[in-house]
Amino acid sequence: MRKIGLVGLGKMGVLHGAIVNALPDCRVSAVCEREKFIVNMAKKVLPNDVSYYGDCASMIENEALDAIFIATSIRQHVPIIVEITNAQRDISLFVEKPLAESADSARLACETAANLHGVHMVGFQKRYSPIYRHAKKLIDEGAIGKPLYFTAHSYSSDLLREGKSWRTKKGTGGVLLDLAPHLIDLILWFFGDVKSVSAITRSLYSREVEDLANASLVFESGLTGQMNTCWSIRGYRVPEISIEIYGDKGNMLVEDDMVKLEPTESTVNQEPQVVYKQTFDTQVPFLMDQPEYTQEDMTFFDCINRGSKPATSFSEAAKVNVLIDRIKETASGTI
Amino acid sequence: MTLFENILIGDNAFIGVSHLSNARARQTLQRLNVEKIVEVIRAASSNGATGYSFTVHPTNSQILAKLDSSGVLAQDFSLYPILPYAAGYVRTMNEKGLLGTLGELLNQVSMVDRAKLLVRGAATSVAEDPIGLMKIYLDYEISRIPKRAKIGGVLLHEVITDLALSYRASNIVQSFIENIRNKWHATPGFVTRNFSRFVDFFEQMKLPFADLIVMTPFNRIGFQMTPSKQSCEASLSRVGNSKVIAMSILAGGYLNLDEAAEYIRPLNLSGAVVGVSSVEHARQVFTKLRTIEGQRSKRTNLPQDD
Repeated sequence: MRKIGLVGLGKMGVLHGAIVNALPDCRVSAVCEREKFIVNMAKKVLPNDVSYYGDCASMIENEALDAIFIATSIRQHVPIIVEITNAQRDISLFVEKPLAESADSARLACETAANLHGVHMVGFQKRYSPIYRHAKKLIDEGAIGKPLYFTAHSYSSDLLREGKSWRTKKGTGGVLLDLAPHLIDLILWFFGDVKSVSAITRSLYSREVEDLANASLVFESGLTGQMNTCWSIRGYRVPEISIEIYGDKGNMLVEDDMVKLEPTESTVNQEPQVVYKQTFDTQVPFLMDQPEYTQEDMTFFDCINRGSKPATSFSEAAKVNVLIDRIKETASGTI
Repeated sequence: MTLFENILIGDNAFIGVSHLSNARARQTLQRLNVEKIVEVIRAASSNGATGYSFTVHPTNSQILAKLDSSGVLAQDFSLYPILPYAAGYVRTMNEKGLLGTLGELLNQVSMVDRAKLLVRGAATSVAEDPIGLMKIYLDYEISRIPKRAKIGGVLLHEVITDLALSYRASNIVQSFIENIRNKWHATPGFVTRNFSRFVDFFEQMKLPFADLIVMTPFNRIGFQMTPSKQSCEASLSRVGNSKVIAMSILAGGYLNLDEAAEYIRPLNLSGAVVGVSSVEHARQVFTKLRTIEGQRSKRTNLPQDD
């Protein structure tokens, strides 16, 4: 039985804990949470055999853990990774996205974790969604030829007035660190490295952080694209991602629930080819929210079993932090 | 051969949910308003729907008031509220954090209930009791449903049900069942996307699997049937006298009505819940569903461990 520790019992910690508990041979055996109030609540509903700790060092000291899920506020991620590494235990780490609050901090996470055996993975679950995997496959196979230009957005109605949580505090929050990382990760996965960036950011409701960002990106491949993200757009029940790619042989629209290949001149008599998520076998042992959360956690354990590196490794995740910082730097002064 | 007992209209389209396309859900929402939604529900009712299943989304309190004033609730038509409105609280958590969300929740509770809280002890100790909090919250939400309405069942939202399964929190399930039965004299129900695990959980925890409603996906392609279509079908024989209502029979609009009906017909189901967004669609769907002759196998009670 694998013994798992959860650091941070917010909504993502609770979600991963639920999935872990439902996987064969895995159990949440320890929880690290500083907020006493949350611990007192958890004790009344979580299994009796779970132990609770106020700091990570004593959890590692007292529990023989195989893996730890870190789902705290962003700024705590890297100090916790350093703390675990200092304990010199070979524990695999799963960190919620984004890896860090800055590119420097993400680099420190990568360097530190290099001294630790085990799997180090970041929760970019969209990469485990069959829709985005299908889109990536189509791009790589040249279904739209060479990508020339794209427009992409990630919108939500998460923040429609001034917020009070860490998500809207300087250094730990803002739309670029909170909502945009998934889209940025997908764009980097689809199109490779970015050569240059120009951007604007604006705050609409928040005092300390940006609520909106528009970035123009030039890739090493010559591809250019526009990326817009905002968490203050009304009418979005859940966050939505949309990526429209224009290639020299056709166009493609990718959203969370479908991929659409648009007909071009040569295929003028054809209907657009739309593939929905229902097309794919997305059955998982336990379903909470979207199946990709279970898929990513299963991938994490699979990598531990095989000793292999996950696609969403720390070093891949660090690229997201690098681009976020570049967008912020280019845009500085435009808030 | 019996006709389905529970043929319900669901509220997905009315609150912007689509399992096929989020973009489409937003477009649907733009052409609907409370008046139009009530028309759709009336059309469902007059074409065979026996009830309305809904989350306690803010839009639904307006819909219920309108259904009440237009006489639909006085007819042979039942309500199946699903609690809590999880998505709403996720947003509040993003804005205010967990503590702020709990504060907001307590603020919603009426003055009377807040007075009870203070009598029971320090507000913090009550707030640290998730089971007690859930009870207060459920009572508050159920008390807001129009008095005239017939309650077919009160269902626990899938997020809470499935978390309870995974964390083996039988006290959540037990307390929910007792509260709905004893205080509200209604049938307790659960929405789950992990049906087989749900059935296993009741057996392992020795919870009585009697007179409950379970709402869970059943469709030809196995969409959201966890861990598999075969496993969910097999678990249907282990539900005692509880009623299983199939959801996602159209797999979010991916399947057509005929194939959906053909698939659910032979299963041991008490009915189905389907979301529709227009009067015409309501007419088609419920005319079809009311005529399905299901083949509910002879139900047997689970052996009771005393």
